[in-house]
Amino acid sequence: MRRVFALAIAGVVALSLPRAEAAAPTARDWLERMTESLATRDYDGLFIHTAGQQSETMRIVHRMEGGRSVERLVSLDGNGREIVRTPGEVHFYMPDRRVVLVEPRSDEGSLLKALPAPGPRLDSLYTLELRKGGRLLGRDVRVLDVRPRDEYRYGYRLWLDQKTAMPLRSEVVDGSGATVESIHFTRLEVGEGIDPRHLQPAVDTTGFQWIRAGRRAEPRVAGPPSASWLPRKMPPGFRLVVSRSQAVPGSPIPMQHLIFSDGFASVSVFIEPAPAKGPAPSESTTVGSANAFSTQMSGHVVTVVGEVPAATVRDIATSLAPVDAELPRTDPAPAPAER
Amino acid sequence: MTDQIREQISALLDGELASGEISLLVRRMERDAELRRAFGNYVLAGESLRAPGGLTASPGFAARVSAALEADGAAVAALPVAAKHAPRRWMRPLAGAAVAAGAALAAVLFVPAGEEGSGLLAGRTDVAPAMTIASLPPGGSSPTPAQNQRLAGYLMAHGQYASPIGRRNAWSNALAADPGITRVALEIVERP
Amino acid sequence: MANFPPSDGSIDGHEPRDGRERPASGVEQSDLELVRRVQRGERGAFDLLVLRYQHRVVKLVARLLRDPTEAEDVAQEAFVKAYRAIGSFRGDSAFYTWLYRIAVNTARNTMASRQRRPLDYEAELSESEQSVVESRMRHGDTPEAAALSEEIHQTVNRAVEDLPEDLRTAIILREIEGLSYEEIAAAMDCPVGTVRSRIFRAREAIDRNLKPLLD
Repeated sequence: MRRVFALAIAGVVALSLPRAEAAAPTARDWLERMTESLATRDYDGLFIHTAGQQSETMRIVHRMEGGRSVERLVSLDGNGREIVRTPGEVHFYMPDRRVVLVEPRSDEGSLLKALPAPGPRLDSLYTLELRKGGRLLGRDVRVLDVRPRDEYRYGYRLWLDQKTAMPLRSEVVDGSGATVESIHFTRLEVGEGIDPRHLQPAVDTTGFQWIRAGRRAEPRVAGPPSASWLPRKMPPGFRLVVSRSQAVPGSPIPMQHLIFSDGFASVSVFIEPAPAKGPAPSESTTVGSANAFSTQMSGHVVTVVGEVPAATVRDIATSLAPVDAELPRTDPAPAPAER
Repeated sequence: MTDQIREQISALLDGELASGEISLLVRRMERDAELRRAFGNYVLAGESLRAPGGLTASPGFAARVSAALEADGAAVAALPVAAKHAPRRWMRPLAGAAVAAGAALAAVLFVPAGEEGSGLLAGRTDVAPAMTIASLPPGGSSPTPAQNQRLAGYLMAHGQYASPIGRRNAWSNALAADPGITRVALEIVERP
Repeated sequence: MANFPPSDGSIDGHEPRDGRERPASGVEQSDLELVRRVQRGERGAFDLLVLRYQHRVVKLVARLLRDPTEAEDVAQEAFVKAYRAIGSFRGDSAFYTWLYRIAVNTARNTMASRQRRPLDYEAELSESEQSVVESRMRHGDTPEAAALSEEIHQTVNRAVEDLPEDLRTAIILREIEGLSYEEIAAAMDCPVGTVRSRIFRAREAIDRNLKPLLD
């Protein structure tokens, strides 16, 4: 009988993080500690994920192996989907489709430096407030409120474990204060001793179709873009941080993937050649805090995806325009890769 | 003859029908409502004996489920109407949304933190075509499995580059079952 | 004679056991075969699974919802979800165990959408499982449903009591004691084929009595 999961937390490792000064950690410090914990600690937990009126139980396992993180996210409530991120690839198992999506894994090491860390800019975009929390899962927690200063972003409420800064509970909140998505851990073990076998997928993939995203997917820190389309308008604070292209199976024309970040939230823009058949109505999709907007323009399908409100992804998508080759160049650089 | 078939149904209910005979029986039952009815009553008899007077499904329940599955592919759920697009005056041109390749662009894209509104496009508003968005009448559709898969692919790629908490949220949503999809119509008005 | 639980592993809507105390029963095996057929595209096979588990799912859902009048709608939704997700059923648990979890999840989401604070489901479930929602269920959701439930019960009982002894013994050993045909054959000291025929004829007799009630 699936009762309340035992709340005993085994082997909490109190990691003492280096502190430059003796001043009390600020809200910003807590945010950075949380990000670091999620990225670098070993943990295994069960949580209830709620989006709108649907909720599902999921499991997440995260482990560092040789300096790189491996993780596995599994849906436990019937559809059997899971995502496994190994050092080399990311696999998305969809038993309901009998399909496995495979992507080469991004090389985090060099990219992490390029991703804008929450810098001084963050304060102009969000207000951060730290409050005393009570206890969750038998631990003391602090509550961190991240509130956007405009309507283009979501807010977050984070219940952080006092010792490890792991978010035991998190909620994504929209402009009206409504919870768009929440994750409540019902059990979380942090520390050493995660069995690597827990990172093996539980899906029998006999007879499944394996769909591999193209090989040529070396992401580049934003430099001269190879993209032929760029959004003309973005919410304040968003910067292009990664530009990559990826082969699309069955097409000579690669897909462009641009990633923009405001230091906290991120938005992806995908630009692909349009399929042969005629124009289709645009589509707006919402699942939890992830919003997507897809539209066709001039022979391309443009999809914008991000942890930002639906209106934001739509506005970004509709502001996309082709790189204008008529504008004067300031140096004899080669023409942008034209499609 | 019918007795023989009905006896097979009884055996199937008990899990005592030979595997080879199941397919044929299933097909027969697909075509014959009377056989299904009999099966249903055999089931009901057992349930009633085990848990007398308890709640049971009404006689039409199984048929309703069957009809729902038939209609599943064409299901139309009413979804909230997408809001009409209002011009937003707060959106600023992307700092460095440059249109020329080369060194100038590189400089613009690496705008140090704190600077905004610089770049080639600051103030340029005459390049993008104006777009208005009208919504189709309410009636978004249930996503097809292919749409689900495509969305999953985008979320997967996006999650790789998000922050750890952003990735966890994006991938949790990718694992969830049915996103709501609203269709909107875009009317593109090209500026001369 | 030994008192085994019904071979399909569940009693009155409680969660079926996953660990098997005996080798995979005939019902589990035949469920698995039906599921394989559904996975290969035979929709009719799923209709049979619905017929087999409809009462149990409706009863389970009614037990979990605060408002049993929605039990059939929510149960229907659970079956539809199961059908859509049938591809992910791998057979390492009994089909009903898998269906049970989907039904619980569906009911849970329905409750959540009404209360808007879907915290602490497990506690909520255990409470409602233990509380005497039983009595509400026994009476059904409306006086008519309650009356029908009761009449079904009376009709089945009477029909069973009127059966010749060997038919009555066979059907009771099968439905209440959960014995397999072989076990019943051993208990009644007759061939398996005879067991099969006796159970069938018992059901036919019950069906003859139920038919006018439910048409």
